[in-house]
Amino acid sequence: MIKRGKFFRALGVTSVAASSMLMMATATTSGASSGTIAKGKPVTIGVSLSLSGDFSGDGLAFKQGYELWAADVNKQGGLLGHKVKLDIVSDASSPTQVVTNYQKLISSDHVNLTFGPFSSLLTLPAAKAVSRYGYAMVEGAGGAPSVFQAGLTNVFDVELPVIGWMLPYAHWMASLPKSQRPKTAAYVTSNDPFTQPQIPVVEKILKKAGIKTVYNSVFPAEVTDFTAIADAVAASKAQAVIIGSNGIPIISGFMQAFEQAHYNPKNIVATGGPDQGSQFIKAVGVKNANGIMVPDTWYGLSSNPQSKKMVAEYVKQYGGTPSGVSADVAEAYAVGQVMANAVKATKGFDNSKIIKYLHSGVTIKSVLGTEKFNKLGESFSATAFTFQWQNGKFLQVNPTSDPNSVKVLYPKPVWGK
Amino acid sequence: MLQRKNLWWPLALAAFVVFPLIVSNPTYTTIGVFTLIFMGCTTSWNMFSGYSGYIALGSGVWYGVGAYTMALFSIHMNMAAGAAMFWLVPLGGLFAMIVAIPVGVVVLRVRRHTFVVITIAVFFVAQLSAINAGFTGGTAGLNLPFITWGASYYNVPFYYVALVIVIFITVLSAAVRRTRFGLQLLAIRDDEDRALGLGVKVSAVKLTGFAMSAFTVGMMGALYAMFIGQIYPQFVFDPLFDISIALMAFLGGLGTLVGPLLGALVLESLQQYLTVSYSNGSLYLILFGALFLIVILFMPQGVVVAIRDRVTKKAEREREAVTSNEAALLGGVNQ
Amino acid sequence: MNSSALIHALIDGVLTGSVYALMATGLTLIFGVMDIINIAQGILVILGAYLSYALSVHWGIDPFVGLLITIPTLFVVGIVIEWAFIRRLKGPEKTAMSILVTYAVSLLIEGALNMIFTVNNVQIQTWYVNRSFEIFGIWIPYIYVFGFILAAVLLSALYYILYRTRFGASVRASLADQTAAALVGIDVRRVSTICFGIGVAVTAAGGMIYGATNAFNASSSYDLISRLLIIIVLGGMGSLGGALVAGMAMVTIEDIVAVAWSPVWSTMSFFLVLVLVLLVRPQGLFGKQSARTA
Repeated sequence: MIKRGKFFRALGVTSVAASSMLMMATATTSGASSGTIAKGKPVTIGVSLSLSGDFSGDGLAFKQGYELWAADVNKQGGLLGHKVKLDIVSDASSPTQVVTNYQKLISSDHVNLTFGPFSSLLTLPAAKAVSRYGYAMVEGAGGAPSVFQAGLTNVFDVELPVIGWMLPYAHWMASLPKSQRPKTAAYVTSNDPFTQPQIPVVEKILKKAGIKTVYNSVFPAEVTDFTAIADAVAASKAQAVIIGSNGIPIISGFMQAFEQAHYNPKNIVATGGPDQGSQFIKAVGVKNANGIMVPDTWYGLSSNPQSKKMVAEYVKQYGGTPSGVSADVAEAYAVGQVMANAVKATKGFDNSKIIKYLHSGVTIKSVLGTEKFNKLGESFSATAFTFQWQNGKFLQVNPTSDPNSVKVLYPKPVWGK
Repeated sequence: MLQRKNLWWPLALAAFVVFPLIVSNPTYTTIGVFTLIFMGCTTSWNMFSGYSGYIALGSGVWYGVGAYTMALFSIHMNMAAGAAMFWLVPLGGLFAMIVAIPVGVVVLRVRRHTFVVITIAVFFVAQLSAINAGFTGGTAGLNLPFITWGASYYNVPFYYVALVIVIFITVLSAAVRRTRFGLQLLAIRDDEDRALGLGVKVSAVKLTGFAMSAFTVGMMGALYAMFIGQIYPQFVFDPLFDISIALMAFLGGLGTLVGPLLGALVLESLQQYLTVSYSNGSLYLILFGALFLIVILFMPQGVVVAIRDRVTKKAEREREAVTSNEAALLGGVNQ
Repeated sequence: MNSSALIHALIDGVLTGSVYALMATGLTLIFGVMDIINIAQGILVILGAYLSYALSVHWGIDPFVGLLITIPTLFVVGIVIEWAFIRRLKGPEKTAMSILVTYAVSLLIEGALNMIFTVNNVQIQTWYVNRSFEIFGIWIPYIYVFGFILAAVLLSALYYILYRTRFGASVRASLADQTAAALVGIDVRRVSTICFGIGVAVTAAGGMIYGATNAFNASSSYDLISRLLIIIVLGGMGSLGGALVAGMAMVTIEDIVAVAWSPVWSTMSFFLVLVLVLLVRPQGLFGKQSARTA
């Protein structure tokens, strides 16, 4: 052990020597952005996205959002007169690959700016990698608490942090008149950093409103057969079910098991899955989707004027209906908007200036609402909504105070109706 | 012939040492770090599984234990982010080895095909434990102290530490091959019962080899955790990691010394390169799979043996040509 | 602890487990006759699921009727894979090499499926997928019962082939001892090829049921293959009856633990059971005591 220790000390000395030589050698070719681009040259923005693997569905939607934003900006002459060029690479949903990717984007491709990848799992290593170059990481899919606890100063999440997503739902349920309010609730979630933090928030509020917890469990994310767990939920006869799911397979598995058990709770809400538009309907059927609620920070029929414009363009290019547009598209688009605003305000592409600007408490309007970043890069000013499927239509139902919310379909219709 | 072959090693070593000094682009040094990590793990895996024939598909466990050791110690000891954390790398290896001993006692009682599957099962148990136990942070993972070295030289210390570990395990692997211990492992591969009958303490030998191979993989896991900066259970306990290591060793040549190194070098850099270059994820899978099939079917013993065979065959043919020419000259009359 | 929930878990385990058993049977048959571990079995199940899905969505063919198409199709796929890749494997490292080769094949198929069907999750939908009937106060989903019947029919057919036909006798001989079988004049090569085809063909049925009960895409194969491997090891590699018992045991144990204790530990408890069984009986529940030099 002692020999190795000496080795490491020697290594430390050599590495310092080597690295100082390296620094001198690479001073002029380092990746840190100089902030100015030659006239006529485009501004390149580097992104790593999950175009295969677990997050590929969302990765694709993000790509569309980024591309839509770039096209819009270029139509208006680009950023400060420079056309926007997107440099997109695939990371196969792997954190190892995401680090290599951003290094390549910055050191080899010499991109001027970077946008975030998909999912908190990938955003964190990506943000760390680009922070070493002094780059800002504006992102729309890394909202888990761990992202903001790493001591990074260059992360800016345009989306509301996950712990705030279920608040409108919880408040609505707690404010139902006592005769209608469910007496019992079941909480079941996958142990995923996106879904798990949302559940305790809801439980606390519902408990205060007198709704008893009759079932609460966390299941491993790899479980594919939910019959046993769903049976346990059904056996608890809870009148409201709060499911922490991060995608369609989990929620559709539960719904199928509930239907087979002829279990009809008064209300079901899932943290993810029902927000996938037509994909969700295809998986569970229009009739069964009736009444299912899901929180999100945006949806296709949002009355936000910027959003409406974006949705129209999306539908024109990719087809489909406004309500079928995935929230990922809006998140990506908002990332572009925030960055564009910062570039314009700092009159250049200097990342350190951009970071300082975004931390200065400035308010930016985006398709997701208003963005205002706190010290950690979180934006709590964006709102959260709860949506519900009603007869094949995806409608906003919470916050009830919002003029665009329609009446909640409650209690949930029996399966198949 | 012997002298020429021996020249390869110092040349290759020199190439690896100067690589980061010549190529300053951090993209390539990052790929270099990951490649070295795989080279070290594959060689270590080969030292037990290649020599003894017990194909263990649970190396992910040692990797994960090493990574979590690094994470938990650096966090709970409030270490300053920086070079001091390198000290935890051998500690990660040590913990992996300590875990390997009871695991080995349990799994080494079964043979061959059953062994493969039981190591898979153990791996999943470890992964599930990491996810569900409280102190590991669950799926939210753990955040290590954030090292703020500048981008242009961040990779370099990691590269050299990884290189040192690779040199260590290669030397160890070569040494084991020459000792009686190595012969005993090979004997177990060829015929375990006969070895037992001849007085080899089979259980002790297997356990020692098993634990030794865990050490380096654990170190690499700790290094990886420090390099990336945060760990999640599903990524440090990654089933694809297990398979990749085995595949790299097979491709290179199971049981040979340079085989695992070569296999890891080629496959890991190829995989990273393909993923970066071909944004369409599915195309990369198809290319990778096809490449595999071609190599496996045409070079089933691994690339190293195939090349060695070709070189030997060529030498043999040359010698035959010489002797037949000589015979023709001397014999003369008979055609 | 709810007793009806427990009974439900038990019934579930038997019904769902039979489908896993069917898929595992193919895997163990291939190993028993050829010493080949077919890692591609998982992705072939998904292929079967996608085929049933495509037939159902594009041509309106009921998935069970569609089996008349998908089973022969997958039989042919199996034969092609065997002829193209598996046949070349020889030598002492044959089994280990088969893991690599079939893994590479599964990568190819996965990439192709991603390109054809995209990575969006799909599920086979029919009237009986979500409905259930009541018996003694317990709701039993139709699809699981149909799946059980399908598995029973196919396994019986397999049993009939193995024990009542000449071909089956050749297979059983090869299962027992390949060299001896060759010595008595059995064309082991032909038997192997057909067995590989059969082993893959049953994934069509397993895939159809899997596709009806789970939202899936190509990456669902990884979880599947690890389960199948563990089932055949627990049952005893090469033992058909063992695959059946182990398949049912796996799902039943997981379900009961999930209900009686907590879903968090259900998968892990099964692995622990596996480890314990293997320590006591390294050859699995019904496996042959292998010659100690294998």
